[in-house]
Amino acid sequence: MKNSSQFKAPTTPWFAVRKELSAKRRSLLIAASFILPILLWSIVSYTPFIWHPDIKLEISADRENVTTVFTAGNHLSKEYFPGFVEAVEAENSDILAARASGESTTSGFRARRANLKILRHMAPVAIANGWLTREEAEDDSQLYQVWQGVAEGTLVGSKVKLSDQNIALIKRNWELLSAKSPTFVSKSLPETPLEKLVPQGRPANPVYLPAPHEVVIQGYHDFTQETDPDKPSMWQRYKHSLRIVFFGFMLSALVGVPIGILCGTFDFFSKLFEPFIDFFRYMPAPAFSTLLVAVFLAHDAPKIALVFLGTFFQMVLVVSNTTRQLDASLIEAAQTLGAKTFTMIRRVIIPGITPNLYNDMRILLGWSWTWLVIAELIGVKSGLTEFIETQGRWRNFDSVFPIIIMIGVTGFVTDQILASLRKYFFPWTPESSEKKHGFIGRFVLWMLDRKVYDTPKNGKA
Amino acid sequence: MSDIIELPSYKEQSDSVRARFADIYQRPIKLEVKDVSKSFNTAKGQIDVLSPISFNVHRREFISVIGPSGCGKSTLIRMLAGLETVSGGQFLLDGKEASGPGADRGMVFQGYTLFPWLTVKKNVMFGLEVNGHSGTAVEQEAMQWIELVGLGHAAESYPSQLSGGMKQRVAIARALANQPQILFMDEPFGALDPHTRSQMQSHLLQIWHNVDVTIMFVTHDLDEAIYLSDRILVLKANPGEIQEFIEVPVPRPRTPEQMLSTEFLATKQRLEELIHPKEHTSTQDLPIVRMTSVNDNVE
Repeated sequence: MKNSSQFKAPTTPWFAVRKELSAKRRSLLIAASFILPILLWSIVSYTPFIWHPDIKLEISADRENVTTVFTAGNHLSKEYFPGFVEAVEAENSDILAARASGESTTSGFRARRANLKILRHMAPVAIANGWLTREEAEDDSQLYQVWQGVAEGTLVGSKVKLSDQNIALIKRNWELLSAKSPTFVSKSLPETPLEKLVPQGRPANPVYLPAPHEVVIQGYHDFTQETDPDKPSMWQRYKHSLRIVFFGFMLSALVGVPIGILCGTFDFFSKLFEPFIDFFRYMPAPAFSTLLVAVFLAHDAPKIALVFLGTFFQMVLVVSNTTRQLDASLIEAAQTLGAKTFTMIRRVIIPGITPNLYNDMRILLGWSWTWLVIAELIGVKSGLTEFIETQGRWRNFDSVFPIIIMIGVTGFVTDQILASLRKYFFPWTPESSEKKHGFIGRFVLWMLDRKVYDTPKNGKA
Repeated sequence: MSDIIELPSYKEQSDSVRARFADIYQRPIKLEVKDVSKSFNTAKGQIDVLSPISFNVHRREFISVIGPSGCGKSTLIRMLAGLETVSGGQFLLDGKEASGPGADRGMVFQGYTLFPWLTVKKNVMFGLEVNGHSGTAVEQEAMQWIELVGLGHAAESYPSQLSGGMKQRVAIARALANQPQILFMDEPFGALDPHTRSQMQSHLLQIWHNVDVTIMFVTHDLDEAIYLSDRILVLKANPGEIQEFIEVPVPRPRTPEQMLSTEFLATKQRLEELIHPKEHTSTQDLPIVRMTSVNDNVE
């Protein structure tokens, strides 16, 4: 191979009008068409000076006489955040001033409770830095040790770096705490008010655009976590959604394909059915949702019916059109060979249209996927959509994205698999003898033989 | 070209040709066309495509239909095959009135009308199967017809794997497998390249010689019509009607070399006169535009 380099295979330039690129370049561009959007998402997410209009809180604080409560993980706008910090700092200096003048504004029990709250504000920092697990962080005595560690300098934040201001503050607080007790005893918390941790945060994009890694981690978590026994797991939800799409589509195919073929074959049925169907398809299927729930009650039936309604009318029109497009001379040829009406449908029309019918069904299956989300919202919410709905309401968009992506991937992969199977179902079609494979087929071939798309040199590879 | 005019008229035929036509005319009549006409009703009124025409076709005769475009030659053959309704008159096949398409009248179209989802063998079996035959006998029978058109090696191929000429051979085999009384061919070689076309013409003559079938062949190629036919039905346009029925004086068996024989050329000239009358081919009236001043004398 190395010696045959005198001959250089001519390559199509990148921008050649209506010319196919080489297989290698095609694959490269196909890969790029998926990588580019992800790259764009990553750039927006991971470059702090691009956009990032929010501050995501790492440390929060309660404020007196203010009802709005922010916790770590909440998003604040960049404009509002400095005011929040200043307000907490002002409260801290009031505390120090009061402490210096010796006045006590609160009674012992109340002061201890306020101080416990302050102690607990360390929990998100401890979890983020991996000092404590989520469960351990609920244990006040463990948190107490974290305070000690930070104050004594044995614990230094890696993920969440405490500001110098906060470290100084923690040291001052620890002096008060350790004076009372080296370990946590709720009764022996100091009654002197402690200083509040000053809020800290990092620039973040709005909550509706989580970063890629957050989506991946949350998606993995959602799919693997154990759920309550009375709630479906993600895979059960997924299967449930697939079932709705599948049954809705199959039902409409079972009814729609025969009617479509009849309409395409006989003008009688075409004129009898198609005008009304053409009218009916303009009535959006979701408009019937309450009606469907009334007729089919609450569970899967109205959802399947909605997918059916959404695809059936298109199906009849598409199939009848495909049937009409069958080469009329094939029908004439069959007539001169003695085929009568029923034989003609069975032996000429149906086999003649199946390759195109197969493509129609692929498109319509994609169509029925688009009805899934609306279908699952009607009656009793179910499946993946219920999860999207709930998480969306809680603004957990890092949980929402994996589901949306998964629905997309399922539809896309199904379609690609069906597309690459076509040539095996219909070996007589001209494209089946071509050496062309679908996106997934090419990938599989490439996995089996990495050299499969190399341009042969000198005609003898 | 001037010496062609010296040729004897096509009507002064040799004795052998005369004897051949005498033989043909005493054979039973296979197809009798009686005042068959075709007209369409449109918004602008009735359009006559074909005036009432009558003629007879004898058993095992090879008849070509030729004429300028729009003369209704395709319409005629499609009516006889039952693919279009007859506006007036009737036609008798073996003395019985025929209507609608049927297995007794085969048809080969210009487009390749093979069923793309069936192999060559299954295509040929189609007619036999829809007419109620089944079993291994059908398969054997189909193979015989495929061998007849010389495609035994391609029996398991799909039509998309065949060349145009091969496809038309399969179409002929498929039509013949039904053993039709008469085979209609509507410009069957029109889409083929000249070389394949002349091969197919010789091939068709051979098939016709070996099979008991009467053929009615539509074409617009004069050479093809003369080379293949016993008689040529010349139609005239607007509305279509019979202009002349030419008895081809070229002796059989035919060979491509005969295309330069005096009988062949005389027939061709006669056809030219009928189909392309002089006044229509005159170029005298066309404006002369000189795009350049180069005085090359090209004519």
